[in-house]
Amino acid sequence: MAEEHALDSILVADCGAVLTKVLLFERVEDSYRLVAQASTLTTNNPPWNDLSIGVFHAVEEIEHIVGRQLYGSARIITPYEAMKGVDAFVVTMSAPEPLRVLLAGLVREMSLESARRAVTGTYAQVIGTIMREGSLVSPEEHWARTVRDLHPDVVLLVGGVDGGAARPVLELADAVRLGISMIDQGQRPEVIYAGNARLASRMARLFENVAPITVVDNVRPTMEQEHLGPTQEALERIYIARRFNQSPGADRLMEWNNAPVQPTALAFGRLIEYLWHQEQALDRGTLGVDLGAASATVAATFDKRLFFSIRGGEGLVLGPLQWVEKHGLETITRWLPEAIPEDEVLAVLHNRRIYPWTLPQDPHELWIEQAVVREALRHLMAIARPTWDTGKAQLYPELMPRLDPIVVSGGGVVTMPRPGHVLLAVLDGLEPVGISRIWLDQNRAAPALGALASISPLAAASALNAGSLVSLGTVISPVGRAHPGETILKIHIAYDDGGVLDVEARYGDLEIWPLLPGQSALLDIKPLRRLDIGLGPGRGGKVRVHGGLVGLVVDARGRPLVLPVNADDRRELVQRWFWDVGG
Amino acid sequence: MVTPYSIISPLTQVQIPRRLPMQGEVLVKLTEFVEPTQVIARVQIPPDFRLVNLSETLGVEPKQIKPYLKVKIGQRVKAGQIVAERGGLTVRTCRSPIEGTVTAVGRGRMLIEAAPTFYELTALVPGAISEVWPNQGAVVEATGAYIQAAWGNQKETFGVLKCLVKTHKQPIRVKTVDNSVSEAIIVGGGPLNEDILAAAEEVKVRAVIVGSIPASLILRAQAVSFTVIATEGVGEVAMSPFAFDLLKSLAGREAAVCGRLSALWPVERPYIFVPLPGQAPLPPNPESRLTPGMRVRALRMPYLGMSGIVEELPQGLIALETGARVPGARVKIGDESILIPLSNLERLL
Repeated sequence: MAEEHALDSILVADCGAVLTKVLLFERVEDSYRLVAQASTLTTNNPPWNDLSIGVFHAVEEIEHIVGRQLYGSARIITPYEAMKGVDAFVVTMSAPEPLRVLLAGLVREMSLESARRAVTGTYAQVIGTIMREGSLVSPEEHWARTVRDLHPDVVLLVGGVDGGAARPVLELADAVRLGISMIDQGQRPEVIYAGNARLASRMARLFENVAPITVVDNVRPTMEQEHLGPTQEALERIYIARRFNQSPGADRLMEWNNAPVQPTALAFGRLIEYLWHQEQALDRGTLGVDLGAASATVAATFDKRLFFSIRGGEGLVLGPLQWVEKHGLETITRWLPEAIPEDEVLAVLHNRRIYPWTLPQDPHELWIEQAVVREALRHLMAIARPTWDTGKAQLYPELMPRLDPIVVSGGGVVTMPRPGHVLLAVLDGLEPVGISRIWLDQNRAAPALGALASISPLAAASALNAGSLVSLGTVISPVGRAHPGETILKIHIAYDDGGVLDVEARYGDLEIWPLLPGQSALLDIKPLRRLDIGLGPGRGGKVRVHGGLVGLVVDARGRPLVLPVNADDRRELVQRWFWDVGG
Repeated sequence: MVTPYSIISPLTQVQIPRRLPMQGEVLVKLTEFVEPTQVIARVQIPPDFRLVNLSETLGVEPKQIKPYLKVKIGQRVKAGQIVAERGGLTVRTCRSPIEGTVTAVGRGRMLIEAAPTFYELTALVPGAISEVWPNQGAVVEATGAYIQAAWGNQKETFGVLKCLVKTHKQPIRVKTVDNSVSEAIIVGGGPLNEDILAAAEEVKVRAVIVGSIPASLILRAQAVSFTVIATEGVGEVAMSPFAFDLLKSLAGREAAVCGRLSALWPVERPYIFVPLPGQAPLPPNPESRLTPGMRVRALRMPYLGMSGIVEELPQGLIALETGARVPGARVKIGDESILIPLSNLERLL
């Protein structure tokens, strides 16, 4: 690894499923700054079939911007010498296909639920579940057939608390073994056993000479306890071996790289963890959501602990048609400000799969894509929240915990034409409570900063503080009920430049007041009717807030957000919110 | 950003990848010449099987089952044949539920597998094998007219092209889908509709090629037995005039039509290929940049499917109706000159 003190220029590449982004960070006087960035199509598919070509395309653009040669003799030039190259090159990757995982277990709500959560710790998707529940006539035959026909990369076998029942787990394992034995050698899945610890050695013997098996600690050692770490590590090792290292061109990127190639989600998570450590506030967590085309990642930190949810194959391009099939088109259309025919909405979702790198050009298509972002955020939160241990950050059990800051990243978000649109989508999708700063990762810097931290924590911290993430503003989201139009907050805004403003927020409204990027202000907030802004019911106080592209926002629409049942009323309201944030 | 492209070419050299759905046996060698219907690779489809619970039916402990077996491992059995039996006052028998082979006995159970079947992969296009992927498939290098499309129903075929309309905007009229187009690949300009699908099914066409497919018809089109291809995508738009004029000029010739479509891993695109004799230019260079004079196709509404010529690449950003400001190109489409974001264009090569 390069020595940290020698790193004056660092190039970071992120190979996504659709786009490859390259960022150049350089030391300018005492701090590191993002000086150039370029993005291009990812090239792991025909006609290129080599990830490194896409990196080269983007690097070529950066060379043009900075007027310096960075690439030569078929590699990134490192270290920097004679006005050429960079001191370090780091790569993150989310381009490879997620692992296809089959779950096998006893009880849906217990070990299988834990196994499902373990799978969200890496780029993987659950393609099927076999379990003892149900009334199958010949369950073993059915289980074996499922294993054989689904042809997974991994069978994650769980079940039984430590020291608990053995026979049902063994019967399931027998069927899994039979199913695997009917798959050709060389194409067989790997088995991870994370069930009743008493059976560990028997499982190892059972699968010997049939399939590679990794025995790890039980995901559910007792009814109350969950222990996901070892299973997640085993899954990640298989992902790196079966997907990462097999991606065309990955070997070349690894040769150029100054640190091991990292999964994008892990790098993203590292940044969210770092943000929590900056303030170490026990009464709130930090949250990052990365909405990619193929996969989506939620990373949250509470009281030093990082919680991860990666949803392989459920990004903004691949996910929506699955949700529509499962939950109906209303999940998307309920967020539209005008009635759009169903066929038109579906056509946008299908065409996005065919041309995932394109931008909405027509307002209808923009609304549809923004509706998809809202629904993606809500869907992700529903999956991620049960895995969080939120501690003191949780004010109300049924609502979001206090989160500050919230970072949003990913192609579908950063291409929204107006900052207000992004902010509104985040508020509708996440429904934050209390006071939160919202940061937009406009340049795809978040995973890059996380990756940078692996070789130079100093550079990562410095580049973060130098504004690599764009602030959309500070949002105050009071919790409680009042009559629509009733005043619920009185705010005295004392700007740092001496200006003052006295404002009121009414229940049901979205209010925005000016607070520019780089500007800050001291607010004196007085809640009425026992509304809670995160300081306790009816309690106000003085709070320092920071500006952004949208400003200071009060989301007084109530928590949870309730949409009118009547379609016309709902569209009128959604349209009004669009106008509130700038059209 | 490198601008993506589609090929709509009257004569080009193409590399057609042919891949098995799972690992199997490749039957061709490098440089070997292949015909469209020639099987170039095959794979054994996992056979049907049954797990017979001998222990439970006979009421015998798994470890003591051996004396009651009436068949051996490797022996072929017929459906209904007794495979294990226990005598006594009440005779208990286990019969094979299927015709097949006994492949394993253990833990009180017997595994009987039906005879395997094979999936056979044909070359689809006539040409020479330019690459062999061991156990997976091969690449066929061929020369002819090639049109890459946007959507397909995952099926593929080979047959004679028949153009049923006069312009690229015209949908197929149902009354033209009669017995005269049975076993043919029919071409229309506009979007697909339910009646065309029904008529095509009735007269047993081999494929339908249209400009677009409405989203509501996708499930139906995936269920039909023939190939369906939409050159521009999902919606109700006309076929690109470049694609239509080429297909029309090729009417009466044999064509390979592949409707395989996958997003991201790996990307597979539908295409139409018409083999033609002659010396074709080399395949297009994917690295070439967008320049004025190039043919392009728009990929998003309101211009989805429209094709034209790049007039100018304006400096700076263009403003869209959505409020976005992005790099764009001025494109001549028909008589109009339209600004389109670069990210919503593909080159037509």
